[in-house]
Amino acid sequence: MSRAVTAILYAPGTNCHEETAAAIERAGGRSEMVVLRDLCGGRASLRRYQAAVIPGGFSYGDHLGAGRILATMLVARLRDELIAFLDSGKPLLGVCNGFQVLVEAGILPYRTPGSRSMALLENQSSHFEDRKVRLLVTDGDSLWTRGLAGQVLEMPSAHGEGRPLFYAVDGRPPPRVTFRYADAAGNPTPEYPENPNGAPGAVAGITDETGTILGLMPHPERAALPVHYSQDGIKLFRNLMAALR
Amino acid sequence: MFSPVRNPPAVLRWSVVPTDSVPEAFEPVADTPSQLDRTSAPATGSVLQPMAIQALYVLSGDDAEARGWLAFLRRHGYPNLSDLVIERVYWLEGTVDTERLMPLVANPLYQTAATQSQLDAARGPILEIAYQPAVTDPETPSLLAAAHALGQTGLRFARLSKRYQFAGLDEEQARKLVARFLCNRVVERLREPGEVVSTLRPFGTPDPSTTIPLAGLSDRELILLSTARSWYAPLSQLKAIQAHELAIGRPHTDAEIEILVQSWSDHCYHTTWKRLGLLKRLSAATAKIAHPLVVSAFKDNAGGMEFYEDWVVTIKGETHNFPSSIAPFGGVATKHGGVIRDTLGFGKGAYPIGGTTVMGTAHPRLPEEQSPPGALPPQLIVSESVRATSYYCNPMGIPMMHALYRAHPGYVKCFALGHSIGLVPRKYALKDAPEAGDLALLIGGETGRDGIHGATASSTRMTGNTSAKESAAVQIGHPITERSFTTAIPVLRDANCIRAITDLGAGGISSAVGEMGAGVGAELDLDAVPLKDRSLTAWEILLSESQERMLIVVPPDKLAEAEDTLDRYEVKHRVIGRFTGRRRLEATWRGHKVVDLEMDFLWGGCPLDPISTSEPRRPLQPLRLPALRTAAEWSTAVRRVLSHYHACDQSAAGARFDTTVQGRTVVGPYGGKNHRMPTNIYVSAPLHGKSYGVVTTLALNPFYGDIDPARMGKLMMIEAITKAVVAGVDYRQMVLCDNFYTARLRPEVAWDLTRMVDTIAEFSEAMGVPFISGKDSSSGTFEAEGRAIDVPPTLAVAVLGRVPDVKKVVTKEFRRAGNKILAIGPLSGEALGGSLYADSYGQRGDRLFEPGSPEQVRQVWDALLKLHAEAGYVSGSAIAEGGILLRLFEASYGSGLGARVDLTEAAGHGPASTPDRILFGEFIGTAMVEVPAGGDVESILDGVPHRVLGEVRPDAQLSLAGHPGLIWEESTAALAEAWSRPFREVLE
Repeated sequence: MSRAVTAILYAPGTNCHEETAAAIERAGGRSEMVVLRDLCGGRASLRRYQAAVIPGGFSYGDHLGAGRILATMLVARLRDELIAFLDSGKPLLGVCNGFQVLVEAGILPYRTPGSRSMALLENQSSHFEDRKVRLLVTDGDSLWTRGLAGQVLEMPSAHGEGRPLFYAVDGRPPPRVTFRYADAAGNPTPEYPENPNGAPGAVAGITDETGTILGLMPHPERAALPVHYSQDGIKLFRNLMAALR
Repeated sequence: MFSPVRNPPAVLRWSVVPTDSVPEAFEPVADTPSQLDRTSAPATGSVLQPMAIQALYVLSGDDAEARGWLAFLRRHGYPNLSDLVIERVYWLEGTVDTERLMPLVANPLYQTAATQSQLDAARGPILEIAYQPAVTDPETPSLLAAAHALGQTGLRFARLSKRYQFAGLDEEQARKLVARFLCNRVVERLREPGEVVSTLRPFGTPDPSTTIPLAGLSDRELILLSTARSWYAPLSQLKAIQAHELAIGRPHTDAEIEILVQSWSDHCYHTTWKRLGLLKRLSAATAKIAHPLVVSAFKDNAGGMEFYEDWVVTIKGETHNFPSSIAPFGGVATKHGGVIRDTLGFGKGAYPIGGTTVMGTAHPRLPEEQSPPGALPPQLIVSESVRATSYYCNPMGIPMMHALYRAHPGYVKCFALGHSIGLVPRKYALKDAPEAGDLALLIGGETGRDGIHGATASSTRMTGNTSAKESAAVQIGHPITERSFTTAIPVLRDANCIRAITDLGAGGISSAVGEMGAGVGAELDLDAVPLKDRSLTAWEILLSESQERMLIVVPPDKLAEAEDTLDRYEVKHRVIGRFTGRRRLEATWRGHKVVDLEMDFLWGGCPLDPISTSEPRRPLQPLRLPALRTAAEWSTAVRRVLSHYHACDQSAAGARFDTTVQGRTVVGPYGGKNHRMPTNIYVSAPLHGKSYGVVTTLALNPFYGDIDPARMGKLMMIEAITKAVVAGVDYRQMVLCDNFYTARLRPEVAWDLTRMVDTIAEFSEAMGVPFISGKDSSSGTFEAEGRAIDVPPTLAVAVLGRVPDVKKVVTKEFRRAGNKILAIGPLSGEALGGSLYADSYGQRGDRLFEPGSPEQVRQVWDALLKLHAEAGYVSGSAIAEGGILLRLFEASYGSGLGARVDLTEAAGHGPASTPDRILFGEFIGTAMVEVPAGGDVESILDGVPHRVLGEVRPDAQLSLAGHPGLIWEESTAALAEAWSRPFREVLE
């Protein structure tokens, strides 16, 4: 077991922290739940951790926009910690609402805290979609997807706002798309409900340019234990552990 | 894949000003007098200086909410509405640089913010909806916290409003629309153009507390007073209070009488059931069974069953019928919130790990103009309830286990049921009694005007006028608040900060503190209660049913630790009183003692009126169903069942609810190849990393209640248990939860209720499967224009079972072509009474299926379990609504395989012996299983009724063989079209 400890960030409204911890444990890792209020109050620090996950949920009730308040807290109140964490090249994963937070904070796709160049809009269906989806791994070079290129991973997806909108930024390459919603044949698909939110290009997950920060709408931690219908999600956490070793 | 952006953003930087203080989300609600209310002198505190108020207007280029409302409103009477735009307005009080808040209120990639409205007034009438001045916006704390983080510490308060622009409507139409659908006047109001206010902060002045002498009032005067004050108390209770006034030598305060009548209401006190002795009957049956797994039955907020490794699983079902009928969105959202708090309030705090939603309404296809006056159209109730369940349960992060939508003409006052199951360590499964000196710690949301008189209003009859008169009884739900204490409570519990805990539901603070302090007494300081509405008077504070609040009994030496934990999880808390040892309920408000009641009178003084019973006459007619001769007639008949509202594909609703959050779900409500086949079972592996399973099933059938309520009760038990047994759950490893819904009490209803309870209690004892939790609602009557519409006698039975290994659970979808399809259990006798097939012809019939003696039923279960233990079958399901046909279709659809069946042998040879009786018959207690070809099951099934129905075929076809030749054959794809359309249309 790696000695590295992964921080699981908890803010009001977070609701996927327990299963994220269970998935990390099954992948052979250690994790600790870090409460946002403790970070803000100086009772905890991200510096103690070698990686971090912002799990799913409805942080701050999705008030003002999914992920926006927590993103504001990270960027404004924890700016120094955040920059230090990013500069150190430590792995960072945002799942579902965590992805929304990374986008609203400007951390994805271009590591520009406070400057957004992407949004996750409400699903085309205009309501929450609970689906089991297939994800084609379209980039096997990131820390999270190493060795998985071309594989189709099955895992649950459950969100109301997951349709990506990108804004082209001068001098920046397009974001690295690591996961695309796929049909039964394993091909990227625009079809509902295989593509549950109407994502253009079937984009389900992206990384930053270095491949260490992953944002993913579906839930790998819900397809990670022997009792789950699929254990494909554990592959992402195993890759994390391999990187931390 | 790069989408064009309307307003390419300049580089946006959050303005960052380091502040080391973490702001209190709320300004402390000091006794702040209103700035508009200059005539009344402030009671205490100083007058605030007016501060600048500015506004930011935000438009979204991609607004799903506006899209959703536009589609909805066009369907609900506004086809001329050509466009709907929503502009969100952020009202900001204090010293604020609005430029710096723009990135917070708008993401410039798809939103624009401005200091002036961006709507073009020429495009249609604009109406702005804001919260009432006395009410706090739920988003305010989040906005303040984020603004302060951005350095805008001069922002003192904020409010949100929404401006709706209705293109294609005139002003009057728009106002009507807003009043009906968009503005909940309990908490919201229309903000008129040009309105000037000097503060945004909640203001208002409460009425003083008064005394209400009852001495000398005649019976008639008492009743008139009771109605005028919305007490809805029976005369006997009013007279008991009148007599108590003489005994204590002073008139009661308004707060005292309010507490007494709501504590004695049917909703809180189960007066009807107590009068009939039914609560005792059921709990006596459970006591007699003395089941070794029962940890807690009928005495806590939920029931508890021993799980594995020193854990206990809990179950509770709760109905919220009245509020869901008059305001379905708020009613259903708070239904979920309430039953989840019952789990949190079990023992010293259980953690919710699953939930259900059940909605019984009149048929959603009922044309809007045929709804009784004052009743909402059923389609609206259903679609709003789906929206509400999604709104509440998804943020709670609790997986949906079962979502059932049912229709019956009697459900004008709808049946809104939700369950919650939970998990708690064995050592925290029982509460301790509060001790004198313990503190009453109120946690969660603030107390407001929402939900006042919910308990008494929901216990009374509902008429066409009720929705206008009692809309204040409807609460507003904010899941973010509840989610936060859902995380914090187990932390407090495990640190031994909780002596006891209960939720604040019906009856609010008075009920929670009154019940917790029944044995010891409690005194409350009502001035300490955090209010979101400044105009609440004492009795309103005591009775408010504002959601998302819990009461914790904290030992004094644990208070500091508890408060620190709650702060970390951003849960608001306040000590509002303490337990005294005086065995009285006492409360002070603004320097006056407003409540001083003996606990003995509060909990022992309620008179129970005797009830007579009389057997109801039911106008039952034998079934007259047409003979099916041709393949076309068979095809039509099959479609009648598959497209029936109860049988059809309801995943259009179910897919809006999170079924996999928490990572515990093993079998969710939908399964099979394309995740749309109803599984009729939920399997959870609650201990991460372990294979132990919690299994739930649910049975409910309003049609059966029309024919024979007592037998319906028994059949619901058998159905729910068989659904679990066929999956491999031992009936000796399960407990039950009952939820009754019956018409307003009269002798015939009393007869039915008594017979139902007697029957299920007897059967429970005979089978050794105990009920451990339940709830009754005895007010299922809607009155319109002198006509009373009663709900059918309704009983929902839920199973909570456990299995040592979730991987051994068997599900419904077929596995392999060539396997045999068997029915295990009786296929004889009349089983079409109350069936979906009969209902599709508008008929009920005059009798229900007779499932046999307890021994016969148990024999089938034992055979199934033995077969399961030897892996004798690879798929299986219990026969219920829709009969064998629905199981065949679903098992085929879920697997991509098909089935070839021959029912002529099963049907027998008499003149009335036709295959439709078998195919559509609802043989409750019989299971359909798939046995590998060549597998020998005969030795195990020796002496047990069973019959081969046919075999699994490789192509996706269903066929029914006869002698000679084929009776009917069709592809499952064609049938799936008929099956999946009806419910989708309800939501569209």
